[in-house]
Amino acid sequence: MIKLQNVNKSYQLDDEVIFIALNNINLEIEQGEFTSIIGPSGSGKSTLMHIIGLLDQPTSGLIFINNKDVSKLNDNELSSLRNTFVGFVFQQFNLINKLTVLENILIPTIYTRSKLEFDPIEKARYLLKRFGLETKEKSFPNKISGGQQQRVAIARALIMTPQLILADEPTGNLDTKSGSEILKLLHELHEQEKMTVVIVTHDPNIAATTNRKIEIKDGKIQ
Amino acid sequence: MNHFTFVLKSAIEDFSRNKGRTFLTSLGIVIGVLSVVILIAFGLGLRKYINDQFQSLGSNLIRVVPGQILRSGGFSSTGSMTTIRFDFRDILKLERVKSAEFVIPIVTRSITVSMGKGTEPATLYASTADIFLALNLKAQHGGIFTKNDVDKRSKIAVIGPKIAVKLFGNEDAAIGKNIKIDSQTFKIEGVLEAKGGGGFGGPDLDSFIYMPHTTAQVFNPDKKFYAIIVKSKSDINIETAKQEVKTAMLKRYKEDDFSVIDQAELLGAIESIFGVMNTVLVAIAAVSLVVGGIGIMNIMYVTVTERIKEIGIRRALGARTSDILLQFLVESVALSVLGGLMGLGFAYLIVFFIQNFFPAYIDLNSVVLALGVSSVIGIVFGVFPAKKAANLSPIDAIRSE
Repeated sequence: MIKLQNVNKSYQLDDEVIFIALNNINLEIEQGEFTSIIGPSGSGKSTLMHIIGLLDQPTSGLIFINNKDVSKLNDNELSSLRNTFVGFVFQQFNLINKLTVLENILIPTIYTRSKLEFDPIEKARYLLKRFGLETKEKSFPNKISGGQQQRVAIARALIMTPQLILADEPTGNLDTKSGSEILKLLHELHEQEKMTVVIVTHDPNIAATTNRKIEIKDGKIQ
Repeated sequence: MNHFTFVLKSAIEDFSRNKGRTFLTSLGIVIGVLSVVILIAFGLGLRKYINDQFQSLGSNLIRVVPGQILRSGGFSSTGSMTTIRFDFRDILKLERVKSAEFVIPIVTRSITVSMGKGTEPATLYASTADIFLALNLKAQHGGIFTKNDVDKRSKIAVIGPKIAVKLFGNEDAAIGKNIKIDSQTFKIEGVLEAKGGGGFGGPDLDSFIYMPHTTAQVFNPDKKFYAIIVKSKSDINIETAKQEVKTAMLKRYKEDDFSVIDQAELLGAIESIFGVMNTVLVAIAAVSLVVGGIGIMNIMYVTVTERIKEIGIRRALGARTSDILLQFLVESVALSVLGGLMGLGFAYLIVFFIQNFFPAYIDLNSVVLALGVSSVIGIVFGVFPAKKAANLSPIDAIRSE
């Protein structure tokens, strides 16, 4: 489903120094996999996730999504792919605090250019109910717990029925109990709905629960 | 819900959460729109006021005055420089003009009227008995002077109601009393109906004192007239009448020595002066709209900086650069139109109170102008901050704290 070919990412820090974040990455993730990308901080795992999620572009190399080269797409086409193909779950939840829980979940539906095949509000309410948040529809994100916020974020990631869930340290800001609930939820999505899930983490215990582990260190896959 | 209505809704919700900030941000536009709309309302009121005044003066009047007072629609700056003054020969000549119904001479002077200890400034207006017909003047108490009075040089006066009230307490009490002008005594024959006017630089018709021009020769020993009014027959085109009057006058004077003008021309000239004045004032007021726009631009830049993270989140969820651009443009336009609406509201209130003593009014054009201009300001001053927001790279935006 996703293939990275000789992907490099480097940053020009100043006139002399170039920082190499990703060094010749070759990687393929198949449909229906539950994969973790694990590495210490500064290893390049976040950069890798941003490139897979089409938020960032590689300095060189090719990216294929469903066998289509997306390295040369323009901003509008990349935005559309982020909208429909990927669902992001962030460590910081990244909900918009001045919008209600329901409105946050609806954000991706307002940016889509194709006609939706579902009623967005109905689907958002279904997801809220499924995640036990049906009473929080009108709450604002900063008035609910971290675990609840992360479930709202997962609902938002799911509203467009993406092919890939990209979770960046999804439990990093949560206590152990909430963290394991979120992890359980991601596993359910994988098992019950055959969702492709990629988790980026530094925690070997979390990586151990996934089917496949990709270890990254100093910008290289080990 | 489409993107536009969603963005508009969230912008309005945002404003209602930050009422103070929203009000202060749009205050510049509020003041700008308020002053522009008020000044336009004053201009319209002034025009209406002048029009009404001219309407009340009667129609088909042609004025012959010395010098070139009108030139290409406005008052000439070199006007009234010539020293020619008309005399009775001109009156006789104009009376032979076919289209003239009657011809009256005008002698006018600023005077001081006294009665016992009280004195009042006034304007003396001396003419024939036809002056009352020409200017649509009617006596409220007593009577007016007649042709007989003119022939006999009767020492009588017909006075405006304001002068009557100032000197005698009420209009009625003035009849039959004597007034003194420059040690000459005149008996008050009548008090006229109120005409309104004055107070805005125009003549205060209610403070005029009318008397036969023959009587007024004591103030005007050389028997010259300041102006001549020709009333044209109502079935004759005013332009034809003017041409005939001009031809008659040219027999004696050079073309540059006198002007023949009608009400419409005079009105046009006055309107064009007030029009220019009003345009200048409105243009000055419009500067505050630009300042208001800069205020909005400033706050929009702050807003963009504050919300970089939000922009990143929206980009990660599929927002295009054009979506972000639209979002911030909608916000700045909404801010500015909100300011425009508030300014318009305040203007309505103020004009409502002003209408008690001046016929200012807000027309549809000012409403359209206020809203149009404030939307344009929202777009012009919102586009730079919005572009800044839209051009942020998604990854930099979402990584910012």
